[in-house]
Amino acid sequence: MTGFIEIALLLAAPLLLAATGELLLERAGSIQIGLEGTMLFGAWVAFAAGRAGLPAWGGLLSAALAGLGAGLLFALFAVVRRADPILVGTVWNLLALGATAFAYRLGAGETGSVLEVATLPRGLVGLPDAVAASFLAPVVLHLWLTRTRAGLRLSAAGENPEALRSLGLSVVAVRSGAAAASGVLGAMGGAVLVLTVSPTFVEGVTAGRGFLALALVVFARWRPLALLPAALLLGGVTALQYRLQAEGFGLPYALFLALPGLVALGALALASARGGAPKALGSPAP
Amino acid sequence: MRPAAVAAVAAGTLAAAALLVLAAGASPADAFVALLRGALGSSAALGETLARSTGLVLTALGAVVAFRAGVLNIGLEGQFLAGAAAAAAAGPLFPDAPLAARAAVLLAAPLAGALQAAPAAWLAERRQVPAVLSTILLNLVAAAGVTWLVRGPLRDPSGDYPQSRALAEAALLPPLAAGSRATAAVLLALLLAAAAAFVLARTPIGLALRAVGEAPRAARAAGLPDVRLRVGAFLSSGALAGLAGGLEVLALTGRLYDPFTAGVGYTGIAAALLGGMSTIGGAASALLFAALGAGSSALQRDAGVPSSLASIVPALAVLALLLARGERRER
Repeated sequence: MTGFIEIALLLAAPLLLAATGELLLERAGSIQIGLEGTMLFGAWVAFAAGRAGLPAWGGLLSAALAGLGAGLLFALFAVVRRADPILVGTVWNLLALGATAFAYRLGAGETGSVLEVATLPRGLVGLPDAVAASFLAPVVLHLWLTRTRAGLRLSAAGENPEALRSLGLSVVAVRSGAAAASGVLGAMGGAVLVLTVSPTFVEGVTAGRGFLALALVVFARWRPLALLPAALLLGGVTALQYRLQAEGFGLPYALFLALPGLVALGALALASARGGAPKALGSPAP
Repeated sequence: MRPAAVAAVAAGTLAAAALLVLAAGASPADAFVALLRGALGSSAALGETLARSTGLVLTALGAVVAFRAGVLNIGLEGQFLAGAAAAAAAGPLFPDAPLAARAAVLLAAPLAGALQAAPAAWLAERRQVPAVLSTILLNLVAAAGVTWLVRGPLRDPSGDYPQSRALAEAALLPPLAAGSRATAAVLLALLLAAAAAFVLARTPIGLALRAVGEAPRAARAAGLPDVRLRVGAFLSSGALAGLAGGLEVLALTGRLYDPFTAGVGYTGIAAALLGGMSTIGGAASALLFAALGAGSSALQRDAGVPSSLASIVPALAVLALLLARGERRER
């Protein structure tokens, strides 16, 4: 049973990192539905770094840097140039899926064998430190949003960007910063997946986790602390799915494959009726 | 958009594609020739392009119909899968009656696509759940459904791999020319594109759909049945993607397997975007992407350039377009 709990925690960590980043961006008033693509990109960078001989933490760091670039690129399109973020995000996923498959194939050649990379070692609490830190990320974001001037400004960019602008502050700068930070967290989420439970790369290795993280943000009603129970629930469901998969295919396995999506849908149906979205979510910066 | 901006978008996309070809160790000029030859160079190549265009044209149409009505249906991928699954379930029920099998597929596939979209339409209108999120999640559910179907209820017991029972050979659509993969499916797709263009541009219902998409509040104030129009557009969009999935089975694969699509729903949205959300522009972009897909497969065979080039280039083209077009109007 401890094995089950450990897997559940390991699976919740990528979701938490990515969802925390997305929540930060959405509180600033933008939205990146290409989070799946960012995670996939981070996963591939961590894998490529591992194959190049870097230790696991080097892979994590490389993914974070790549995520920073990805976040700034997204900001260029959706924040600075004010293209519709939904459209940018949709093709972003397509680009990441194609580009990582392209790069993987170039690196791996025609080999059909599984190429593995080293995983993150266990740290202080019996889990890799990056996984343990993932559970602190929403707490840190909560404190930052509520207790610091910068955090309040970020919320203002999502709730009332005109007011922020009338104070002489740049909404574009705030949202670009948020996009950069969410890129880092999203890519690290993908990297943690590769550096813990699935130490290899296959096309679409993130398997919809970025989409689930998007749903988590809505389910949590844009409050960071509410991400924790929601991510643990989905992590647990996925861990259960792994266990059933090991015991052979059957109806329960198929159901559990669909369950994270169904749970997220059901949660959305309940959560959206109660609202809680930043007022300027998805609208262009003034 | 100004012609100069269009030229910049095209040049930027081509330059990026050339860099990717170089990264794969091939010469861009040779690759371009190989790509063209693989897409249009022979009757087999042209057939491959046309065969690939069916799904892309129909999903692009689905995107246009939905987006023009203000419905952000990102779930075309899942609706495509639902249509394919319905075709793989309904077709083999008539092993000795090819015409009945075809009719069953052509009825079941659009219906399944619409049904796959229905929960998102309901959630959007009744629970204010953004269609973007619900359709994305429904894509995950549909992919899980396919995984289950080909290993469970639809599994072909005689095969080694998990895949569905095949449709009777006689039920599959025949090629338009000997040695070609193109079938009447592509004609049906192009016919539907013409019909959709006419309906959107020239009929009261098309005008009403566009009005609801462009100015929802004004349309409602003018007494248009906005909820019914949006739901109708959502379900039609799903039906088009579902038909695309069904035709994929009926014209090309003859059965369902897992994974069944490599992003045709998303590429269809990219085609609609590149085509400026017009039916004709979307269909033309879909044909272009289909040629790119057929050419890329040849390129992978001949020069070892990974064929995922065919999903990178459309994405790059749309991103370049968004970058060039810049500032949007308030939705």
